[in-house]
Amino acid sequence: MKKIERKDFLKIGGGAVLGGLTGYVFSGAPFLGMQWLFEWTQDQHVPPGGSESYLKTLCEACPDKCEMSIRMIGERAVKIETSHSGCPFGQNALQLLYHAERIDAPLKRTGKKGTVKASAFERVSWESALKDISVRMNKLIGEKKGHLIAGINKDYNLSAALLDRMLKAAGSSSAFYEPSLKSLTQAALGGYVDYDFANTDYILSFGARLLEGWGSPCAMNRAFVDWKKKGTKLVHVDTIRTRTASIADQWLPIKPGTEAVLALGIANILKRMGRAAGGYDWMAVVNAYTPEKTAEITGLQVKQIEEVANAFARARNPIAVAGRGGKGVSSSSAEIMAVYALNAMVGSRGAVLKRTAGLGEPALSANAAASLREAKRHAGLDDFIKNGNFEILFVNEADPLYKSAYGAELEGKLETALVVAVTPLLNDTALYADYVFPSLSFLEADTSAGSAPLKPYRKAIHAGDAIIGLAKMVDDIKGSFPWNAYVDLVKTYGAPIGAGGVNYNAQVLKEFLSSLEKTLKASEEFPLSLVPVELTFVGDGDGLAFPFVLKSIDEKTYSQGKLWVQINRDTADREGVSEGERIDIESSRGEIGSVRAHLTDTVAPDTIAVPLGFGHKAYTRYARDKGVNPKEIMANDIDPLTGAANWWLTRVKIS
Amino acid sequence: MGKLIGYIKQYIAFVKKEFNGYSKNVKIAIYVMLFFTAGFFVFGIQILFWGLGYTDMSNFYPFGQWIIGDLGLVGLGGGAFTTGFLLYIFRNDKLEPLISSTVLIGFLCYLFTFVFLVFDIGQPIRAFFIYMYPNWGPGLMPASMLTEVAWCLTFYFLILCVELTPVVLKHKVLDAIPVLKYIGHYLHRLMWIFAAGGTFLSFFHQGSLGGGMWDVMYGKASWFRAHHIYFFVVIILATAGGTAFMTLCAYVAGKVMKKEVVPKETFNSIAKVSGVMFVVYFAARLADVILMGTSWVPLFDRSYLSNLGGYYGLWMIVLEFIFIAGAIVLLLVKKFREDEKTFRLGIISGVMVMLTTKLHVVLNGSSVPNFPWKDFIGYNPTIQEWFIMLGGLSIMALIYMWFVKYTPLFPHVEQHGHHEGEAKAAE
Amino acid sequence: MAIDLDKCTGCGACAIACAQENNMPIFEDDSDIPKRVSFLELMKVTNDRDAKYPDVEVCYIPKMCQQCEGNDPKNPKPPCVSVCPVVATDVGDDGIVSQVWSRCIGCRYCQASCPYEARAFNWWKPRYEGDFKNSLNPEVSIASRGTVVKCQFCSHIWKRERDRAVENGVLDINAVTYTPACVASCPTKAFVFGDLNDPDSELCRLLEKEKDRKFRLVHTIDEKDEKTREKLMHIKNFPNPKVYYLTSKAWIREMMRFK
Repeated sequence: MKKIERKDFLKIGGGAVLGGLTGYVFSGAPFLGMQWLFEWTQDQHVPPGGSESYLKTLCEACPDKCEMSIRMIGERAVKIETSHSGCPFGQNALQLLYHAERIDAPLKRTGKKGTVKASAFERVSWESALKDISVRMNKLIGEKKGHLIAGINKDYNLSAALLDRMLKAAGSSSAFYEPSLKSLTQAALGGYVDYDFANTDYILSFGARLLEGWGSPCAMNRAFVDWKKKGTKLVHVDTIRTRTASIADQWLPIKPGTEAVLALGIANILKRMGRAAGGYDWMAVVNAYTPEKTAEITGLQVKQIEEVANAFARARNPIAVAGRGGKGVSSSSAEIMAVYALNAMVGSRGAVLKRTAGLGEPALSANAAASLREAKRHAGLDDFIKNGNFEILFVNEADPLYKSAYGAELEGKLETALVVAVTPLLNDTALYADYVFPSLSFLEADTSAGSAPLKPYRKAIHAGDAIIGLAKMVDDIKGSFPWNAYVDLVKTYGAPIGAGGVNYNAQVLKEFLSSLEKTLKASEEFPLSLVPVELTFVGDGDGLAFPFVLKSIDEKTYSQGKLWVQINRDTADREGVSEGERIDIESSRGEIGSVRAHLTDTVAPDTIAVPLGFGHKAYTRYARDKGVNPKEIMANDIDPLTGAANWWLTRVKIS
Repeated sequence: MGKLIGYIKQYIAFVKKEFNGYSKNVKIAIYVMLFFTAGFFVFGIQILFWGLGYTDMSNFYPFGQWIIGDLGLVGLGGGAFTTGFLLYIFRNDKLEPLISSTVLIGFLCYLFTFVFLVFDIGQPIRAFFIYMYPNWGPGLMPASMLTEVAWCLTFYFLILCVELTPVVLKHKVLDAIPVLKYIGHYLHRLMWIFAAGGTFLSFFHQGSLGGGMWDVMYGKASWFRAHHIYFFVVIILATAGGTAFMTLCAYVAGKVMKKEVVPKETFNSIAKVSGVMFVVYFAARLADVILMGTSWVPLFDRSYLSNLGGYYGLWMIVLEFIFIAGAIVLLLVKKFREDEKTFRLGIISGVMVMLTTKLHVVLNGSSVPNFPWKDFIGYNPTIQEWFIMLGGLSIMALIYMWFVKYTPLFPHVEQHGHHEGEAKAAE
Repeated sequence: MAIDLDKCTGCGACAIACAQENNMPIFEDDSDIPKRVSFLELMKVTNDRDAKYPDVEVCYIPKMCQQCEGNDPKNPKPPCVSVCPVVATDVGDDGIVSQVWSRCIGCRYCQASCPYEARAFNWWKPRYEGDFKNSLNPEVSIASRGTVVKCQFCSHIWKRERDRAVENGVLDINAVTYTPACVASCPTKAFVFGDLNDPDSELCRLLEKEKDRKFRLVHTIDEKDEKTREKLMHIKNFPNPKVYYLTSKAWIREMMRFK
């Protein structure tokens, strides 16, 4: 019985399968399935063609204004052809232009502050956004509280000048710049230093990683090519054997953080040759730093210091360069002054103080004048974040929440204020913004050479236009803004003018040296020094949003979710750390966890080199949650003149 | 419709009854194997549809676990051609009881080599390109070892299919059909032709997949050997390790069924063959290692020992030689060979030689740095790789079990075995 | 090609220009170095194997496909070409080792055989999210997931230049030269590109002049004398790459040797 049933079962089953299969084939489903399968696995996106053309423009990302040629296919920009302009960063421009997460319209916050999700914002029109903000501004200025409006700029450019002017006209003194080479030098010396790298014959760089994103990379790279031909000598002072240190003709492997002392030591030797700069008090400090004492503090040999000082004095046109770091610069005002004093002592013609001509002082309304009297002055951005107050904050391309050592303090203050962020990509600070204004990449902006080669992205506009538009809606300010658009100013703005003399502030120097002495002393608790390194394209964080930049990172900096720090071999042996081991770094401010140790002798003993630019909380999906941000634990003593935290050297321990 | 459901229910009851017939340990083994099989399908779909990114292979480590699986399976499946060759050409009739099992294992090994290759290549849909656009050189010899491997594997696989046909035809349902029985019988008579052809093909692809493929990479110090030395070394290994594996499979089947599946003299005979081949392999491999150390690696201005660093270094070669020594002693000395325990150890170390050498070739070869400033690379297969690998092996084992149960895979059992053990497993 | 390492600052512009020109795929995480696709790797090399602080040095070596040709330039035999089972990669008359994405089945044999880690595999589906699609170059086809891709010295630019020359009435298209993306983008002009077969080219003259400074990546056979070299080449093929590096620093050459 059972056997027959099984046979029947097989027959019925077989019949059903056969019938089903026939039906399936005739239904066409398998062919559709095949088509789908092929589309899925062979997915070769074909970029649309079009006629080829080349657009010419000037790159105004830096004062060098390189000529650029953009290769266009139809309406699409596909390549930046720089033909050896000297600037590496131009190559990255298309990635910002066509970034997948570029903000396409003004955004208004609807969700909680600090959320990463794009759904925390809604798109609004420019009119309604500007209207809303102008109402708040009018109210605040009307109440004579204009000084509670503040602004943070990233670069010295036209939109920053317009924002400065708007704030001044509102009666606020809180227009700040992110600490950068230019802003720090301006604060310390009263003007930025215009180095003549092309014509110098001896460069003494105090930790300025000249060829790794420092200053204006175009000028540096172009000058570098010439140095080789002309035989210009580069002497580099640094704790880490960076590429600049390796390219340099001479490297002074100095103890971390003691660059200012070396500058004083060299000044001491120059003084014995009868050269001087600064007042009596200043020279009194210099007198104390004999070569022997300098050698002891900096870890160099007396002979080395004397040789460098002599060569510096003998050179035809030497320059001493201050501003430690690459893109992210951290030098105290005392150090900048001490280094600049060397230029003054040898009468260098290659280091001239300059200022950028601004837009002039605006006329103040009665309300504005009243609020200006109430305004508290802050020396610089970190001072302002720590001690200042604001109700409305404009953040112009800057990312202080991420870049400042006081990011955590700022976070709390941003929670309660009205924050307007002007940026093409949603950065960490914009996470706390109530309004985000999409701004332009340089390819879409008009330049002094002519109109922009490319149309603005969707509803994005120039930051200058947004500010002019807003100023025109605020009663007490609109009088100071006679222009219709930023293009009216493009041709005239930005001319450098001469700056006055330097006030060598001996008091600041003394205070700095005494605090440095304390920092340098290795304590039981924090025996190691933490200093930053950078990758040129990542810089201090701006490059990480771009996938092609991620592709250029080396495997001992960041890979597979692991951030690597570099530790000297002997030090690592002593601390019991092996290659690739996971360590935590702790300073008096806190702890950053889970970085990998890379043992290398390119780093000085007792020193850890940590890459800057990682550990964003936002800044697109490409940068988010990659590594850690060392600024969280870096030193944060505020400099009296620059008002910025001096984070270069931090005492840490590892575990 | 109700009737159909009834049938299905009946069939399920039948399967249940069959399954309950097994001992507890076998049941657990089947559960585990079914678990891996399920994982095989789930992760297989993931890999095929979403790409190889889910493996731990990388641009610096392009070959991983599945390639080791391919090498191992083909090497072990090499026992099929050796046994066939000895039986049909050399007329070593003692091997007759083992031949069906051997052919089946060969078939499964080659089948799953293809399966793993399908997973391993990035574009399985384009796999036919190997036949359509083969990289033949100007002469008869193919330019790419992989072209040769694919073609030889295919032809040998077809031969194995033919060789397997008589075994399948002996299933009791098919055996009842006169035409098929007739075909099966005559195929069996013609088998020596296929055995000869198979041996010819096998020689090539054993050598090329296991050895030639690696020793032609003249840019890589970890693999390169001049004059195709490794090609021949690996053929010898296939004959030695393959036969050991065939013996092991039959031995395990016998243990599980608690029956004597093949007569003792068969084991004896094949173990002797395996042992002798291991002696040859020992000499060949020793020569290979010495030549690597003294001639080939120094051509790159590197030292062989420095290549044997990292996670998969020198210890693997030492281990391999320990296993070789074990196989030789335990399989060739009569006393050890005839004692079941040491015999078992002997064939296991024979199989282990195969495993360690294949592991060493792929793991160490890929992990050796190409630049003096780079480190050795480690490789941690992901869960996807493990499941596909183990799932594949599980499916092989399940198929083998099916054949053991429903076809006269071991004719010896049919003829002599009924009095031994309990006829528990047979229906 | 010749690359002057003494001029290289390690900025990485070459890698980014290369990615832009060659439509590099954008994956979920492009910082996943073992699985990322890029044609040009910027390798940071230090000599801390041999030296201690402060005698250490650092340099960057931009490394793309070295366009090997094997022992016999007349019958080029790069390590990766003969191993391909489906003829997806080949050496052309121009000496460039080419790869046809759409022919590749993704077996990665060529990757395994490449001593310079120059080839990359599309482990994931290449994604160009949002507007990134807009910057794709129509001259470089986009590879599917599961295929091997490699640097081809931007030979599509050569085609572009030759097409242009023909349009302008130039008949001898083989005399047309071009500049690959990495070479054009270098801010310090560390790259020199040209025809190695043409003794009058800028490249050949440079290599002739810089005899003492030139070397090739991990290609120690170059340092041996003529006789030994011939003897060795009789035993086995050597990659014989067409990319030369220039440096006056002895430690960089020293780092090319395994210890």
